[in-house]
Amino acid sequence: MSELSVSHPLTGDAFLPDDFELRGSTPAEVDSNFASQNYWKDVFKRFVSNKGAIVSLVVILLLCLLAAFGPKMTGYTYATQTLSEKNFAPRVPGLEKFGIFDGNEALRTTSGVKIINGYTQKGLTDTYYWFGSDTLGRDIWTRVWEGTRISLSIAVLAAVIDMIIGMSYGLISGYFGGRVDNIMQRIAEIINGIPRLVVVTLLMLVLPRGFATIVFALLITEWIGMSRIARAEMLKLKEQEFVLASRTLGAKDFTIIFREILPNIIGQIITQLMFSIPTAIFTEAFLSFVGLGIPVPMCSLGSLISDAFNSFTTHPYQIIPPIVVLACLMLCFNMLADGLREAFDPKLKEM
Amino acid sequence: MHKYILKRIFLSVFTLLAITLVLFTLLQFMPGSPFNDEKLTDDQRTVLNAKYGLDQPVYVQFGKYVSNMVQGDFGVSYNISKNTPISQLIQTRLPVSIRIGGMAVGLGAIVGLIFGVIAALNHNTFWDTLCTAVSVLGVSVPSYVFALALSYTFGFRLSWLPMLYSSKAEFASSVMPSIALGMFTMASIARFTRTEMLEVLGSDYMLLAESKGISGAPLILRHALRNAMIPIITVLAPLIVDLMTGSLVVEKIFSIPGVGSLLVTAIQSNDYNVVISLSFIYSAMYIGIMLVVDLLYGLIDPRIRITKEGGNA
Amino acid sequence: MTTKTREKVLEIRDLSISFSTTAGTVNAIRGVDMDLYRGETLAIVGESGSGKSVTAKATMGILAKNGNVESGSILYTYQHEGAPKTVQILEMKKRDMRRHINGKRIAMIFQDPMTSLDPTMPIGKQIMEGMIWHYKTTKKEAYEKAVELLTEVGIDEPEKRMKQYPHQLSGGMRQRVVIAIALACDPELLICDEPTTALDVTIQAKILELIQKIQQERGISVIYITHDLGVVAKVADYVNVMYAGRIVEKGTIDEIFLDPRHPYTWGLLSAMPDLDMEDDRLYTIPGSPPNLLHPVQGDAFSPRNVYALNIDDRREPPMFQISESHYAATWLLDEHAPKVALPPELQVRIDRMKKEGVR
Repeated sequence: MSELSVSHPLTGDAFLPDDFELRGSTPAEVDSNFASQNYWKDVFKRFVSNKGAIVSLVVILLLCLLAAFGPKMTGYTYATQTLSEKNFAPRVPGLEKFGIFDGNEALRTTSGVKIINGYTQKGLTDTYYWFGSDTLGRDIWTRVWEGTRISLSIAVLAAVIDMIIGMSYGLISGYFGGRVDNIMQRIAEIINGIPRLVVVTLLMLVLPRGFATIVFALLITEWIGMSRIARAEMLKLKEQEFVLASRTLGAKDFTIIFREILPNIIGQIITQLMFSIPTAIFTEAFLSFVGLGIPVPMCSLGSLISDAFNSFTTHPYQIIPPIVVLACLMLCFNMLADGLREAFDPKLKEM
Repeated sequence: MHKYILKRIFLSVFTLLAITLVLFTLLQFMPGSPFNDEKLTDDQRTVLNAKYGLDQPVYVQFGKYVSNMVQGDFGVSYNISKNTPISQLIQTRLPVSIRIGGMAVGLGAIVGLIFGVIAALNHNTFWDTLCTAVSVLGVSVPSYVFALALSYTFGFRLSWLPMLYSSKAEFASSVMPSIALGMFTMASIARFTRTEMLEVLGSDYMLLAESKGISGAPLILRHALRNAMIPIITVLAPLIVDLMTGSLVVEKIFSIPGVGSLLVTAIQSNDYNVVISLSFIYSAMYIGIMLVVDLLYGLIDPRIRITKEGGNA
Repeated sequence: MTTKTREKVLEIRDLSISFSTTAGTVNAIRGVDMDLYRGETLAIVGESGSGKSVTAKATMGILAKNGNVESGSILYTYQHEGAPKTVQILEMKKRDMRRHINGKRIAMIFQDPMTSLDPTMPIGKQIMEGMIWHYKTTKKEAYEKAVELLTEVGIDEPEKRMKQYPHQLSGGMRQRVVIAIALACDPELLICDEPTTALDVTIQAKILELIQKIQQERGISVIYITHDLGVVAKVADYVNVMYAGRIVEKGTIDEIFLDPRHPYTWGLLSAMPDLDMEDDRLYTIPGSPPNLLHPVQGDAFSPRNVYALNIDDRREPPMFQISESHYAATWLLDEHAPKVALPPELQVRIDRMKKEGVR
């Protein structure tokens, strides 16, 4: 068999001299099915491959940047009123030459359409309101980004505190089970039985209006959803071997809950956090719209929309920027959350 | 089953009672009620207190308050229309709100269901992407943005539909508010239906049904949709509640003489008595809907139904 | 058993199926040939992921949506108005497949009776559904036949059961119901996908006996898909051993159990738990099956094979014929290969089986 170079009768291929010698040992066991799978790396890979989520993330970051620096870009402040320059349509240097953003605005009346331009009427050649000015002559660009900043701060703060409260509540309730769980769940059920609208409305009536009150109102209504998810996950995980193992090793309840189980559900928690941010933004906007929001002269996206609503048929440019920013934020946070959910739980995608 | 129903009803009543207690307590601290008026002398105050039963112990007052609320006696409005009984204010407005809300739920649920089923059946195709995009948009964009857009386009620019609500053209002027309001319901149901349908379509019993040779509409209706519907019903209740919230703003935008706009006006004019009464009504409606959906769920899902009847599961 | 003329029911040739997943393309089946004759029982044996179920699902026309048939054909022959009729299953429209084949000609029993019944439909209705659908049977007739079927599969109080929902029945009962559903339209071929895996050991034997009884009474052909050689020994006439999407050895039950040629079959046989075994350690095959996301170089079993030759790492072995019915795909059968003796423990076991009989 040493000088073997015949071709095989079945395959017709040539053989190598040592082909028919026993290889001896099996090669070192590298289990290719599991070896290369790092959970977080996989999550990251799946997330990055989701175009919608990535675009959303970029848009959110962009809006955050604008919220941080936008108000300082024009030289106006959000509270400066120039009553002589009210209801100016948007005018942007450079773009005005192309016939857009030149400060012209079409007034629709029963007798027809009339083009007016506040800037030329007042003879202001060097004044620019990028998004126009509102009914009190304030710069809408500045106010929109100021409002975005406040809306975002409220939403993120509320969502994070929600997460901490809801997560702890759910984890504790699920972990201890039995009577503790029963009582805690009944309490949550009763709180959940009160419509969010009522809770928020009443709170806003009792407490002084302002940033902290809105955050507080969002807090007491939004943590229940988070606690439900945390509890459900806890019930699933607490019977598993690694928990049992750590309990046998003498780990304390607190350690098991927050060191052993929490890291396993962090994916769901983050996803839920991302979902609760747009809810918070929406609730804030809603509160402002019904007159329970941020007190003047501060502004949020909701209060901007609410203010501009009264003249939205005559000056639609005043309501468009806050609405577009609001819708963008909601959409992007939702899509980001969707992307995260699919990244953490690939089953959802491949069904 | 009876025990389950009783338990649910008990919990609902208890929740409503808890809410009433909160409302009652709040009412005691509210400024602007006749009892806190600074111009009153002590004598006048005593007379007033006696008249409203405020000289009695708090729990008696609470008992009276609860019985008044249940009987639909919510007291009088102070600011919106002086001394008009609130029940009278609500009476004319509630049907309008319920009609628009009902139209929104109906529209949202039916269109959402259709969208969700289409998306799931054409998983990972253009139709799926389209339905998903529409539903993401619907979930993300607040109902009042839709309301404003609709109102501006079809009401103001095109003048197809009345921009403001008019009791002379009830249906025509309910169309835009219902669409704006139902958008969120539609989008949520579409998303949820899609997920549930995908799960059901991938299940073993669908495979068994297919291997029996069942195909087409009977396969989808009898096996897939039926199973997917059960969890969908549970999300309907919270959606109806979100609808209540949305109705406040939508009613304001379209000047609909409904309960939502009444609440907004009451909040803005500090008419606490009206706010609290409406809070009670909203809570009662919410709790009622949750109860009905819960019981409905038990009726539709044989797994719950039989177990609760004590079958040999 | 080969003396009388055998009527071919199913002929699978060169079947290759892949699945597109987000991680890439998984080549689940890589060139499978398979034959089944009327009235006979074929067992497909292999580890999970070896492609057993995929083969069965392709035969049923119920492949998942992301599954693509790369090549091959499945020919199915059935009696149509007294004469045999052959159809190309892979070329049939889904609609025609459901109308004419599924349930009526080929029926399937699934692994997990806990999930394979529709939870929202009474079991009676689930049995009757197929009959009414295929044969336009009246409700009354269908009901009577369903009650008969329930009796046949060994469920007592059938009338009462008809109205019950799946969750009210035990696992064994549910599997009996699934069998009743499969039999409802008098199929000629029954595919059992791990029919007893999810059941208690005590019930497993009863379900197997039930399927055997039905097969004998109705003269139908049966394909068993299983990883349990104990089940194979009880029921099968022919055995196909699958590994990583290919058939590595096929033959009659006696050939596979008493004269196995492929090292993987040796491993499977050695890994069978056995009461008479003197050694109290249970043999396991080292390692795990290859990930079919990546192309297979050489013999897929080579990395786990103690008897691997150098060529195994380079080139996939062809099917070597051992007897009229016995084939195996291993280079050990090549004329140039060294003679390798069976593992001694297995030899002992085979000698004992030869004395006592396989079953």
